[in-house]
Amino acid sequence: MGKAILNNKQALAGLALIAIVSIMAVLAPVMAPNDPNKIDVMSRFLAPSAQYPLGTDQLGRCVLSRLLYGAIYSLGIAVPTLFVLGGIGAALGTAAAYIGGRWERGFLVVCDIVMAFPSLVLMLALIGSLGQGLVSIVAATVSTMWAWFAKVVWSYASLEKGKDYIVASCIAGCSGWRIVFGHIMPNLLPQFAVYLSTGIAGFILMVSGLSYLGLGFEAGTPEWGAMLSEAKAHFFSHPTLVVYPGLCILLAAAGFNLFGEALRDILSPEEASE
Amino acid sequence: MVSMIRRRLTGLAVVLFGVTLLSFLLASISPVDPAEAYALRVTQQPTPEQIAAIRVELGLHLPLHQQYFRWVGNLLQGDLGISYLTKKPVLSDIAEKLPVTLQLVGLALVWVALVTVPIGILTALKPGTLFDQAVRWATILGISLPSFWLGFLLLLLFTLILPVFQVVNAGTLGSLILPSLTLAVPAASAFIRLFRATLLSNLNKDYVVYARARGIRQSRIVWVHVVKNSLPPLITLFCQYVGLLVTGSAVVESLFSLPGIGMHLVNASMARDLPTVNGCVLVIALIFVLTRTAAELINARLNPKLTDKEERLYG
Repeated sequence: MGKAILNNKQALAGLALIAIVSIMAVLAPVMAPNDPNKIDVMSRFLAPSAQYPLGTDQLGRCVLSRLLYGAIYSLGIAVPTLFVLGGIGAALGTAAAYIGGRWERGFLVVCDIVMAFPSLVLMLALIGSLGQGLVSIVAATVSTMWAWFAKVVWSYASLEKGKDYIVASCIAGCSGWRIVFGHIMPNLLPQFAVYLSTGIAGFILMVSGLSYLGLGFEAGTPEWGAMLSEAKAHFFSHPTLVVYPGLCILLAAAGFNLFGEALRDILSPEEASE
Repeated sequence: MVSMIRRRLTGLAVVLFGVTLLSFLLASISPVDPAEAYALRVTQQPTPEQIAAIRVELGLHLPLHQQYFRWVGNLLQGDLGISYLTKKPVLSDIAEKLPVTLQLVGLALVWVALVTVPIGILTALKPGTLFDQAVRWATILGISLPSFWLGFLLLLLFTLILPVFQVVNAGTLGSLILPSLTLAVPAASAFIRLFRATLLSNLNKDYVVYARARGIRQSRIVWVHVVKNSLPPLITLFCQYVGLLVTGSAVVESLFSLPGIGMHLVNASMARDLPTVNGCVLVIALIFVLTRTAAELINARLNPKLTDKEERLYG
């Protein structure tokens, strides 16, 4: 499996991008040449120089430092969201498929309701009542996305449940827990890993879209979507202020998408193209 | 078929009931008092008595379940209430904003359909070629694009570098070209990927070998058998996207200053305009469930055997 990943150009490209964004996030405090939040009205819109490698923005803040710190927010939201969502999705999806009957139908109805509900409204309401910041964004993302994750797991699990080896383990007298955790879950893991990897890309885009609309973070936070939104008034005079943060979002999301799709090819060769 | 439609309609009603209930519950958890927000728009420094009077006037002093039943009662008479923000009936506001969004989403889906089918077929017929590889990488970039950023780039391209047509010209079809492209690029990328994968897995099935053994022309096999069998997942995703794009268009609407329902809903949520929020949520959820039901019915017509499994699951 490790070898297959190393032999796959696409997986390597994805991993490289993920590594770059992770390094940006971890080393931002060390690598940033300036304080990302230091406002200096005298040095607005400076061209790139030795002190400001990518120039300064509309408030005279160092663009490069802000971009580096932005990685912290992107990954800082995407990774915890992923763990919470992955856990909830896997638990609810397999439980519903395994228990079946009335509970399963109830689960599907609740999923349908959450999926039909405009996600923006749910997020606005939660961010409005929990306040701004990382925790409420994670909570808002989880509460809108869990139904999609749980339903995907459920559809895989209910396919898996009908297979002969599950019937065999029932006959052999396995307990329900053992069937769920020992048999169904391990067989779902590959598909779920793929779904999660492409899911991170989705969160990164979703969070940047939210902060683009001015939700979730306090004004001035060096988050990519927020940076882009604050710079949009100066778009025609200084397009790079909009182009750089967008490029960061694109590369971060592309990293996880590339890796996730390559993982799918490796795990299910019959669907692979090459 | 008829029993399937009947069951879907019941499911639909249940979902709409849940969605509106959820909308009311969410309205009650927010710390911002809608009556106070309303009073602040009318007078600068409202007294507590004024706020209390407004609360009674808007019916917000009632317990939540009574508010909900009152709302449902009015809804059944075709009345969604009066917006706190615009002071006009919610329904007429929606009737004014929704067509803009629907045109935007409709045009975006036209682009998507035009691009997906030919590119999907071309890449699936010759997998591994340079064209296929290029499409593969391009579509991965496409699904990773932040839509608002793409919108900025398109604006930059068509205003400064290639000023071919009037970009900002509200009310005409021309004004929808860039916003719809902004919505269409990520969607088309997702569709091409799905369609190619489904086509490829169908091309490897036994029925294709059998058809070839019978001496049927390749073009006929592809168009009549493989494409038809590959459509159901595409149609499901297509209809799902109609619902998702209607909410997702808020970002694009704000970028291109289009007066659509997405921004209307965001503004109403921020201003605690509860009747508008509840009305918009209902309409968007309705679009979502209707398009999904439409997808299921189309798929059932296209391939009756596929529905057998569904029937058992929902049975």
